[in-house]
Amino acid sequence: MNNTKLTVSHAPFWHDGDNLFQKNLTFMLALLPAAIFGILQFGAPALGVMALSLSCAMLWELIINLVSKKPATIGDLEAAVIGLLFGMMLPAITPWWLIVVGTFVAVFVGKMIFGGIGSSPFNPTLLGMAVLMMSWKMFFDFDTAYVDYEFAFTALAPLAAVKTQGAAAAEMFTLTDLFMGREVGAVGATFGLGLIIGGIYLILRGYARWELSVSFIAGILITAFLFHAASPQNYAGPLFHLLSGYTLLGAFFLITESASSPVNRIPMLLYGFLGGFMIILMRNIGAYADGTILAILLVNVISPLLDNIRPNALGKGLNNA
Amino acid sequence: MAHSLATEFTKGLWAEIPPFRLVLGLCPTLAVTKSVENGIGMGLATTFVLVFSNLLISLLRNVIPPKVRIACYIVIIATFVTIVELVMQAYTYPLFLTLGIFIPLIVVNCIVLGRAEAFASKNTPVLAVADGLGIGIGFTLSLAALGAVREIIGAGTITIWGGNPVFAVGDWYHPFSFMVEAPGAFVALGLMLAGMNLIGKK
Amino acid sequence: MREMISMIVVLTLLASVSGGLLAAVKSGTELRIEEQVLKFQKAPAIESLFSDVTNDPLKERFTLETGDRTLQIFPGKMKDGSLAVAFETSGKGGYGGDIGLMVGINVDSDQLVGARVTTHAETPGLGSRAKDDLTFVSQFNSKPLDSNLALKADNGSIDAISGATVTSRAVTRAAIQAQELYSQLKPEILKQIQ
Repeated sequence: MNNTKLTVSHAPFWHDGDNLFQKNLTFMLALLPAAIFGILQFGAPALGVMALSLSCAMLWELIINLVSKKPATIGDLEAAVIGLLFGMMLPAITPWWLIVVGTFVAVFVGKMIFGGIGSSPFNPTLLGMAVLMMSWKMFFDFDTAYVDYEFAFTALAPLAAVKTQGAAAAEMFTLTDLFMGREVGAVGATFGLGLIIGGIYLILRGYARWELSVSFIAGILITAFLFHAASPQNYAGPLFHLLSGYTLLGAFFLITESASSPVNRIPMLLYGFLGGFMIILMRNIGAYADGTILAILLVNVISPLLDNIRPNALGKGLNNA
Repeated sequence: MAHSLATEFTKGLWAEIPPFRLVLGLCPTLAVTKSVENGIGMGLATTFVLVFSNLLISLLRNVIPPKVRIACYIVIIATFVTIVELVMQAYTYPLFLTLGIFIPLIVVNCIVLGRAEAFASKNTPVLAVADGLGIGIGFTLSLAALGAVREIIGAGTITIWGGNPVFAVGDWYHPFSFMVEAPGAFVALGLMLAGMNLIGKK
Repeated sequence: MREMISMIVVLTLLASVSGGLLAAVKSGTELRIEEQVLKFQKAPAIESLFSDVTNDPLKERFTLETGDRTLQIFPGKMKDGSLAVAFETSGKGGYGGDIGLMVGINVDSDQLVGARVTTHAETPGLGSRAKDDLTFVSQFNSKPLDSNLALKADNGSIDAISGATVTSRAVTRAAIQAQELYSQLKPEILKQIQ
């Protein structure tokens, strides 16, 4: 008896003939411009952080596969993407053990516990980051992280500066500087141009859905604009928020993660917008300098709820069919 | 009713060990197990309440009218909880402060009411005491184990009694403080449940 | 009918027996609890308030009766020779019940020495900052006794802890109560400590 035909697998369902390996390879390709820029900017330690993070994530997945006696799944490169994204969100001088623990949390607690690819209710990378930030906040302070570096630009983390000194601090950073990555931050999150190019490439290839990115950016711009218009001396402008911190990485690579985001168009638009809205709320009112991680995790939670907005099923008119 | 004293006692230690097997009483399990000491304190307080409420309910099982039995159980349980609270306040004051609100909350702990309703009200006092003692000790052990996992990872120490760590990992260790915070409790409990099921399967 | 009566009788009996038992335990442990509270809660608050006194406020404590309550008063001799007293009041309406506040008052200059939260059952991380984070209670330091100790939101002079207005308001209630008690008791306090 062979029942494999009746096996229904988890999301993602949408399909264009590619396999996971190709999808994840394209994903990493799209991340490359920003990653390479990070290496040029922050030197060999940045390469070390990303390489260690990528290999650790794959190794953890392999170990978990072996322990749970399941077929090895690292060939689909999903763990590699988690690891690379994870490394790109860290400062260049992150200690090695932090990466080892963080990728473990991301791969194990974030992904494998829920049943592997496609089953995770949260974005695994962000879950790992959030747990690390709760425990070792001091290693995520970008101002102290780069104290030994010499930069030709203002060596202050833009969002932290705005948080502590008020909106006037935003004037220290020109938008072109932020756009071209002349700022301190996580190794792969500073180069706005590279992230946008990579993101657009992903969207054109169909791996990231434009509804999510566009509504996410719209949510950020509109909310930040309203805050800025209400009180320009307290809140920085919308473009500053869009180009600083993890925002662009979030807009193209994190919020678009397929397992934890809704499927239909209207839910996707709502989801992205809410994510952007929450980020600005956290930055302007909350305690965190950069709310991207927690905001996206928060909208991850409501994703199943948003998925209820859908056309009625055909047939007998059952509402929950 | 051919259960022997020994089986009623030992079932609480493994087969029906409260938070892991019965998955009951999770509120104190998750909330107080930041250290071994808290786990043991909470477990002992619950054990005391369990044993005495089981004993009394079992003694009164033919007197209590079925329609108001839950009210009667709650009165009995609440009495012992308040006694525990007062005694802890008088003799282990710092522990009382850290456990705080979770001592009075033993009243609504499902384990206590569950044993009263499911066991003590149908069995003889001796068996009821054995049952309460077994479940209570099992609960204490579980809480201590969960506390040990969370404390060693989250703070790098093991504190068994009296507020001073009996073991500390050392200064090189950067405590993974996620584990002593609320979400870490869920993750640790989930992993331990998974581990128990894994062992139980074999 | 019989069932009704037995229900009432059993429940009444149970409740009264448990009430009696609790009363007995309560009276049996009362003294010890008071000692423990003194040792673990009031003592740290007093030590932190009177960090530079030359006497032992705990040993020299005395009690005063006012209306229906007994107040424990801890006298302190400050370094500059002035006299101060500390006593505990409780602020109604915190998130988890009343909040105990140890208030120190300089008898010579009629200024507050400061205030420290002693007991509370507030939410950890939010309301509990009233005790753990001294920036809130240090607002009471050296305030003249006639100043308005309510929250700024209530037209007073104290900034609330962000996210914990209810807790902050209960603390200010305790402080205001201390003001009132002190103005009532000042003559007796002076009599006692001279």
